[in-house]
Amino acid sequence: MRLALEWSDVTSVASGPATRLSASALEIDLDGLRRQLERDPRLASVRLDLAHPGESCRIGRVFDVYAARARDDGAEDFPGVLGALCRVGSGRTRALGNVAVVVTDQQIDNPSTLAVIDMCGPAAELSVFARTHNLVVSARPAASAGRSEYLAAIRQAGLRAAVHLARAARAVEPDTIEVFDLPAPTRVPGDLAHLPRVAYVFQIHSHQRPTGVDEGILYGDPVRRMVPTLIHPNELLDGAVVRGFMGRAVTTWAIQNHPVIRELYALHGRALWFTGVVLTVAQATEPERVRSAAMAAGLVADVLGADGAIFTKIGGGAPHVDMAQTAALCEARGVKTTLIVEDMSTDGSEEGMLLFNFPGLDALVNVGSAQEKVALPAMARTIGTDDPAAATAFTYGSICGAIEQVGATRVMALVQ
Amino acid sequence: MPPLRVVCYVNQFFGQIGGEDKAGTGPQSLEGPVGAARAIHQALGDAGLVVATLACGDNYVAERSEAAIGELVDLAAGHAPDLLIAGPAFLAGRYGVACGALCAAAARLGVPAVTGMHRENPGVELYRRRVYIVETGADAARMLDDARRLVALGLKLARREAIAAPGVDGYFPRGLTRNTLAPATAARRATAMLLDKLAGHAVSSEVPLPDFPTIAAPAPVRDLGHATIALVTDGGLVLKGNPDEIEPLAATRFGAYSIEGQRGLDPGRYDNVHRGYDTTFVKQDPHRLVPVDVARDMEGQGRIGKLHETVYSTTGVATTLAHSERMGREIAAKLRAARVDAVILTST
Repeated sequence: MRLALEWSDVTSVASGPATRLSASALEIDLDGLRRQLERDPRLASVRLDLAHPGESCRIGRVFDVYAARARDDGAEDFPGVLGALCRVGSGRTRALGNVAVVVTDQQIDNPSTLAVIDMCGPAAELSVFARTHNLVVSARPAASAGRSEYLAAIRQAGLRAAVHLARAARAVEPDTIEVFDLPAPTRVPGDLAHLPRVAYVFQIHSHQRPTGVDEGILYGDPVRRMVPTLIHPNELLDGAVVRGFMGRAVTTWAIQNHPVIRELYALHGRALWFTGVVLTVAQATEPERVRSAAMAAGLVADVLGADGAIFTKIGGGAPHVDMAQTAALCEARGVKTTLIVEDMSTDGSEEGMLLFNFPGLDALVNVGSAQEKVALPAMARTIGTDDPAAATAFTYGSICGAIEQVGATRVMALVQ
Repeated sequence: MPPLRVVCYVNQFFGQIGGEDKAGTGPQSLEGPVGAARAIHQALGDAGLVVATLACGDNYVAERSEAAIGELVDLAAGHAPDLLIAGPAFLAGRYGVACGALCAAAARLGVPAVTGMHRENPGVELYRRRVYIVETGADAARMLDDARRLVALGLKLARREAIAAPGVDGYFPRGLTRNTLAPATAARRATAMLLDKLAGHAVSSEVPLPDFPTIAAPAPVRDLGHATIALVTDGGLVLKGNPDEIEPLAATRFGAYSIEGQRGLDPGRYDNVHRGYDTTFVKQDPHRLVPVDVARDMEGQGRIGKLHETVYSTTGVATTLAHSERMGREIAAKLRAARVDAVILTST
């Protein structure tokens, strides 16, 4: 299966009479786009702002971030969540470089569970979203909109805006074309059959909090009863999975630019043979967890025939253990594993970093401690929030893009 | 920058007071560098001066521990030091423990402190979490080299400079985590680590593998019909309004709720504050978490002797190991005092 991401690099973004891309300058018809997004009856009003790299600007109440992408051959965008259902992952997709759509949550009373993006200063050093031109979508809920309806609406608004921007690239020749071409896992050329076969086990949701009916995650499905599923990595790069309604330290952007998938592609055919991706969800009950771990390990070991597998998790403690249990079963079947974990300690102690103790799981990479405090200066301008308290106490976990559980970031907890 | 004022600590042997026969000697403050402190003084060069050397016998400290350390800290404070350097103690056990205790006490007063020991000195395991302990040889054969490494780390501490990783600055890991920026993304590091593992190379986990002690299961209860059974949970049951202020995660407190005279748990009286799972169903009916209803039935049928009239509850989510162990000990002590024979512990 072959996917071409056709990149147009953007060096400036400004408001303009029409949305168009010309010589890497993107103009956005903010009024027109706002009116389009305000057609959603679940939203009372929509506000659009721009934030640029280096500005003294803080985006508050960040819900999620989307990469600007638009299918370029008649296929649907984000099927099941935005577009009609179809399969994605092959063909051509337009992509804007250095542009992101940031969606803020204007409904929740207590914004402490949400994140911030600073466009300059110490937090900017940690987050890719300080280096993108950001279109910030802040929508107020209609009086009738419940929590789930509101979140579904702002997610669609963000994705709609992301598609709207990327469609502007259709008028120009792409700057670079990035090709992701991976055959079915059985089709290994004879001269490459010696390469170690590597799979990726991607936990896409945690049922610590059950998904709502509007909370489409995999092709629009809320994955409530999902058992482990095989998927082609191109589908993930092309909008098949959109993050759920909760999930600090994971953005849809990171899934659209999935760092593990990109890394495995980069080494595919040279240092390893990328055999595919197994999707899992962290379960809420014991039988579901045991079933899921056994099936996922079976897919990795006996269906994909992998020699090694990389694991990531999403959410807090229970997902951490689900992931480890699956990996331990893989090790028992002779599949070598590495796991990407958060530092789970709440007191900064080495003993608290892990929540499992499976002796075979001896290769752990960490994405840092979300709880560690960090001091951030006040910014001249804020978007998405007028809460002055947002200028004081922060943690690494509250900086959007500082810690991505799928492994896109460089923050790492060091034991000293 | 003016030279730093450094106070050194040595035992009776390294302070040239005498051998084991002088190990009972009490604390004394000597002017300038004396005995082993001369190596520290030399290693400091222009960066600092050893203004005083504190000397004390190993047995004096070992026998009076806290009081002796208090006396030594007072003596040190009299010199208004910018830095305290204790030892190095090499493989000398009593000396190492004294150095660790003194550095920990100095650090509590805000005086930067460093010591040095061989990795098998018992002072390392006792104090490495609280004190910077530089790794040294087993004896004084390379005294000046070891002194230079103590001084290098001590100067960083005194100047409030960033301390590098244990392997870089030469101290025993303190078991504390701190966020840093790695040269590559976690995805790239994980892939490289997997390829190393597949190639049969040794890999260096970024998270130390835990070494939790195995806890033996207790002996089965012989006669349930005469046993007092308690219900304990870490599933977050609280009284309405959470009067004990049990934290929704990273708990440090637990609640003790009387069920005396109650057939079961009235959902109107209880709530749930656990932040690690979907609590909808246990809020509807707390028996899904704490089975007082069934236990009362069994009590009535004589299948258990008695249901203990207090339920203990906390939230087991992101709770630190230290607080988990402490709360467990405290709850167990109360249950033991109440002559409870067995516990049904419901988790989530």
